[in-house]
Amino acid sequence: MIPMEYFLTFGAILFAIGAFGVMTKKNTVIILMCIELMLNAANINFIAFSAFLGDAMGQVMVIMTISVAAAEVAVGIAIVLNAYKMRKTTDADDLTTMRW
Amino acid sequence: MFVEYVWLTVLIPLLCFVIVGALGTRIRHGGGLITVAGAACSFIIALLASYEFFTSSDYSEVGYVTESLEWFTVGFGSTSFTISIGYYLDSLSCLIMMFASFISTLIFVYSLGYMGDQGIKKRRYFAEVALFLTGMIGCVTASNMVQMFIFWEIMGLCSYLLIGFWGFGHPEAKQKASAAKKAFLVTRAGDVCLMGGMFVLFFEMGSLDYVTIFNGANLAAADPEMLALASLLIFGGAIGKSAQFPLLDWLPDAMAGPTTVSALIHAATMVKAGVYIVARCFPLFCMNSEVMLFVAIIGGVTAFFTATMAMNNFNIKKVLAYSTLSQLGYMFLALGAGGYLFALGIEEGSEELMAAGALGYTAATLHMANHAFFKACLFLGSGSVIHSTGTEDMRLMGGLGRKMPITSITMLIATLSIAGFPFFAGFWSKDLVLDVAMDAFKDAADPTCYVFILLWFLGVVTAFMTAFYMFRLWFMTFSGKARENAEHCHGESPRSMALPLVVLSVFALAFGFVLLIGYDGIFTIELVAGNWIVGGQAGEPGFHWIEHLFTNPYTYLTIVLVLVSISLAYLMYSRGSVNPGKFNKDGQSLLYRVIANRWYLPEIYDQTSWKLGYGVAKCVDYFDRNIIDGSVNGLANAVIGGGDAVSKAQDGNVHTYSAVVILGIVLLFAVAAALVIFYGVIA
Repeated sequence: MIPMEYFLTFGAILFAIGAFGVMTKKNTVIILMCIELMLNAANINFIAFSAFLGDAMGQVMVIMTISVAAAEVAVGIAIVLNAYKMRKTTDADDLTTMRW
Repeated sequence: MFVEYVWLTVLIPLLCFVIVGALGTRIRHGGGLITVAGAACSFIIALLASYEFFTSSDYSEVGYVTESLEWFTVGFGSTSFTISIGYYLDSLSCLIMMFASFISTLIFVYSLGYMGDQGIKKRRYFAEVALFLTGMIGCVTASNMVQMFIFWEIMGLCSYLLIGFWGFGHPEAKQKASAAKKAFLVTRAGDVCLMGGMFVLFFEMGSLDYVTIFNGANLAAADPEMLALASLLIFGGAIGKSAQFPLLDWLPDAMAGPTTVSALIHAATMVKAGVYIVARCFPLFCMNSEVMLFVAIIGGVTAFFTATMAMNNFNIKKVLAYSTLSQLGYMFLALGAGGYLFALGIEEGSEELMAAGALGYTAATLHMANHAFFKACLFLGSGSVIHSTGTEDMRLMGGLGRKMPITSITMLIATLSIAGFPFFAGFWSKDLVLDVAMDAFKDAADPTCYVFILLWFLGVVTAFMTAFYMFRLWFMTFSGKARENAEHCHGESPRSMALPLVVLSVFALAFGFVLLIGYDGIFTIELVAGNWIVGGQAGEPGFHWIEHLFTNPYTYLTIVLVLVSISLAYLMYSRGSVNPGKFNKDGQSLLYRVIANRWYLPEIYDQTSWKLGYGVAKCVDYFDRNIIDGSVNGLANAVIGGGDAVSKAQDGNVHTYSAVVILGIVLLFAVAAALVIFYGVIA
């Protein structure tokens, strides 16, 4: 059986890549995708613990997360689409009018 | 049977005030007749009550009669105190009640003619004078200091309203309104003192009823220093009300009101209340001879300085106003000198000193009554002159004696009376006042008694000046040749104005003779077995006063001085053979200018209040603007600035936000890890 640490390390790496992407990528669509990566990193942890502890609760949480993530992507893409319509850009550095 | 109804003397004028005030415009004469009738009723009741009080043997033992209703009580049990409302009648209140209501009645009759052309304003006038009379009678018949103070303040209010009677709709409205404000504010300064005195007295005695606070045993048991403080503060109230030095400046300005109001203020009400309160609190003041010395000094100094101010004034009413101040000064001098002797008498247990001191009380009350008659006559006479010439400037009058015979003769009688011409009313009381001042010097074995020789001297000089300026007034107005306004004078005033003048002049002539029919027995004060009794002795008729006065060389001195100053005034202002300009370099000498400027007292007031008041205001303003506003604004600015600075962190860039979030998470983990590693805590 594959040891627990492997799954956790994999999840951590996936999360780190996602976080790095959120902080550095300019394109908002890619930022959304990176957010998805981070969510999935958390999902992997849930699944791993669920399998090792023999508890179905983790799987329930994953299904929950996937459905929330789907809704979140729908809203996120809609915002990006509207922003593009208004400003002709999807660059996060240019969409900075919501400030002081 | 009448004494019990003495409260009606207060209530009837009050009712007149309400009726005239509410319905005056619908009644003929603006309700004037109602006010006259009310004052007359008040006088009749006062007369009957006083007659009964003086003749019945029930009252002469204790010297007073009082009855009170409980008004309100504060507190519970032994610490509670009750303020009652009632009357307190003794010789002093009888005297003032009688002459105040009598003279007010005459003044109101006179007002029917004098204010006849005022139209709709008559309602206001007659309502306010009725309230004024209420205030005065209420003040002297009150049974405790709180009640007295209420009526005292009613008088203050009425004086403000009436002095400012022409404060609008008149060519000089602004100046008249400011005179009213001045009168109100200056007397207010005194009233604050009086209130303070009442607080101190209450603190010390636990009551403000006259019966309790003037009880000999209670006074002896109280802390003398507190009593002295209370006396001085109460005297402060008297200084304000009676316009003594240094709060004297409002009274000359109060001439802005109608002349009848001046007569009312000077003769019957208001300024007499100050003398009344000192005479009423005589037992209290006598607990300390130095307080009485202070009273005498204030009185003597005021008498002298205000007499000098009257010397070169050309406004007929202002001269009379200064003479009032001067005569009030005499009354305080008499009270002070008498009280000084009385206080020393109490200290030494000497009956003779006390008897000599009681003479001061007699002199002051007699002079108060005499002054009321002759000053009312003088003011009404001057009102008559002003009414028919249309000016107050004596330089524009002259030769009116032929055109206004009644006014001229009645005013001559009153002038002789105030000048102290022998056997006129003013003569008796003025010489008694000077006599008391001399006694205070001769009889008192105390180093401070040398002050009294100075005060006596000031008093004698004042008598000389009084005769001079009063005859200057009379000669300038009624004799010589007619000048500008006197030429088109309307002639003698209507009968309603002439009648009061005649009645008052009779009293100004003859009221002094009450001294010969036992006045000194009724209006005296004595300490019998530790109890203060006003007028305990039965009045004994006698001519010992003639002997007393005419065997006294100083009486002849004042008579000679009076005659000299009358002839001097005659030569200067009637025959014109002596030019007064010679003595004052035609009004250019320093003394003349100083006196014409009232010894610069108004300037001193203005400068001190301006400098002091403005300085304080500036400090307060600085404090308010910089310290109070500064701290509030500073706090607000700090919050705004801080918000501004911090808001810069919100730059709208999602990268920054996400970086901060992740940094926060990392920090949380770092802290959690540190806790686990170093303290073994499992979060």
